[in-house]
Amino acid sequence: MNSSSDKIFCSVVIPVMNEEENIPHLHKAITEAMQAWGRPYEIVIVDDGSTDRTFSLLEEIARHDAHLRVVKFRRNFGQSAAMGAGFQFACGEVVVTMDGDLQNDPNDIPMVVEELQKGYDVVSGWRKNRKDKLVIRKVPSKIANRLIRKTTQVSLHDTGCSLKAYRREVVDKISLYGELHRFIPALARVEGARIGEVVVNHHERKFGQSKYNLTRTFRVIMDLTTLNLLLKYLTKPLHFFGALTLLFNLLGIGTLLYSAFNVAQNRLATEELNVLMSLGFLLIAAGINFLLFGLIANMVVKTGKKRDERLHEIVAFTV
Amino acid sequence: MSVETKISSAKAGSTYLDENEISGNGRAVTMPAISVIVSTFNNGGDVQAMYRALRQGLENYGQSFELIFVDDASLDNTYTQLLDIAKRDRQVKLIRMRTSFGETSALDAGLRHALGQRLVFVTARVRINMQSLPRLLKKLDEGFDLVVGWRTPRQDSGVNRVVSRMFNWLMQKQGNLQLHDINSSVIATYRSVLENITFYGNLNVFIPVLAARQGYKVTEEQIEQLSGTFRKSVHVSEYIQRILDIITVIFLTKYSKKPLHFLGFFGIIFTFAGLVMNVYLFTYRILGFGGIAGRPLLLLGAMLLVIGLQMISIGLIGEMIIYTHAREIKEYNIETVVGE
Repeated sequence: MNSSSDKIFCSVVIPVMNEEENIPHLHKAITEAMQAWGRPYEIVIVDDGSTDRTFSLLEEIARHDAHLRVVKFRRNFGQSAAMGAGFQFACGEVVVTMDGDLQNDPNDIPMVVEELQKGYDVVSGWRKNRKDKLVIRKVPSKIANRLIRKTTQVSLHDTGCSLKAYRREVVDKISLYGELHRFIPALARVEGARIGEVVVNHHERKFGQSKYNLTRTFRVIMDLTTLNLLLKYLTKPLHFFGALTLLFNLLGIGTLLYSAFNVAQNRLATEELNVLMSLGFLLIAAGINFLLFGLIANMVVKTGKKRDERLHEIVAFTV
Repeated sequence: MSVETKISSAKAGSTYLDENEISGNGRAVTMPAISVIVSTFNNGGDVQAMYRALRQGLENYGQSFELIFVDDASLDNTYTQLLDIAKRDRQVKLIRMRTSFGETSALDAGLRHALGQRLVFVTARVRINMQSLPRLLKKLDEGFDLVVGWRTPRQDSGVNRVVSRMFNWLMQKQGNLQLHDINSSVIATYRSVLENITFYGNLNVFIPVLAARQGYKVTEEQIEQLSGTFRKSVHVSEYIQRILDIITVIFLTKYSKKPLHFLGFFGIIFTFAGLVMNVYLFTYRILGFGGIAGRPLLLLGAMLLVIGLQMISIGLIGEMIIYTHAREIKEYNIETVVGE
């Protein structure tokens, strides 16, 4: 397996958690699809701390199938971490991710990869006919997608679709943390990636439980806010902090001038003057603090990894 | 080897002494299975008894071992007594810190010189019956990754016990660890576990929590505590240090990779509260109900607003630090890989 690893074309990365009923079907479906396609492939399944028989089933299958590699986490670390680990172990030129619940169709993999080869760095699936419950999944998803489109300038219909194909270079560049796996296209966009989209099949869940719940929505919103602020101000942190500095200093000076003016006209009682003066000083102090934050942020960003080797330059000769 | 060690440990602020140096004969380095690291500080009274008990217990257990004593610059005769022991016993290594660097540093210095794959940490301060130490090793044999000594029956002073109980309760909430005595400072574990969790500062008492959060199997085992004289008073600063440590651990384990989630949440609450107060006051003023300059609420609102925005700012700076400096940090711990 190791000897042929340099020739692997397509790595299929699948994070799973408690999917014992789906595992045999999943492996069979992917194997059939990949064999029919005929390109050298590998399957990397990351077991994200399953508590059922998922891992022992995978271990058993891996004994007979050299294409399968299984990475087992010590506990549940989340889907982003699982995908990150999958990326680390995947060695294909193209990395395809999908869900372990068989809602994505492995037969779509060749199509998605062919779309990628038209000159994209990331191709995302679009579940146009989504087979999920309307209220708890489709509606939040629609709202989230609109938000993501608005904030990240990546115009995908279905950011949440797990079936995605990446060029090797993209996978190597992107670090996944928090729950940022949903926003890989957005992160890739910052690195200069070209992003495509293709309509894929979507099936109903046959076995097992969906791991989705509504509290996730809150975390997604926090992640989105984080990402938005981060991407917007990463290259120019002083814009963010400068605006706050300016605002608070102006407010503070304004307050002080206002009280000075009113004192001159004898219109303020002593205790009123005290409150107003304190307010003015507080606001100015805050303003200065924001300026200092801005300087620290600038230092942080400037000393960070050099980002001059952006993606498109490398991609140019590998297409 | 001994020269090299000497130089490196001199840099680290400790003198390293093993049987090589004293007798001068070249000894083939054998890899012991177990390294027991004991930190001492002014324990002149019990060092001898401790050593004998420890040795006897380990001999009964039956695997090869080494004892590493790290003396944190004791002011009494602890070091000279240990030196005597180290001269007589080939399985004993002795490290002396130049000045008192604290227990964590002492244990860390011991770890650097430990050769075994299984490690037992103990501090002489807790006065446990060293003979029962191999019980922890037996738990490791059962398949656990880390075993914490549970001092029972507890012989400490009342204050110490109350503080200890509060501490355990907090830690249980944090790490989902159902242990009775997390901060006993008696730990048996594997080298590989420690390599996957970083500990620094005063954080050695958090090793079980950090390990559990990485998915290692953590358990406890009862261990007798000797009666006798104990430190009566613990300095207030030590408790404050503890509380700061707890905050650090909460932050490190839960939010180190997403500071804006934590700070942003509180930041938004503060900012919102401040905004509500000031909007109320300004409406009050604009509608002509009276002046607001004398209202302390104005100051409170402004302050909350400022604090909230500062929290969000610091969260954002944290995110920037992680994005630009810590991208290679792994957020997961792999148990096995099949098919490689």
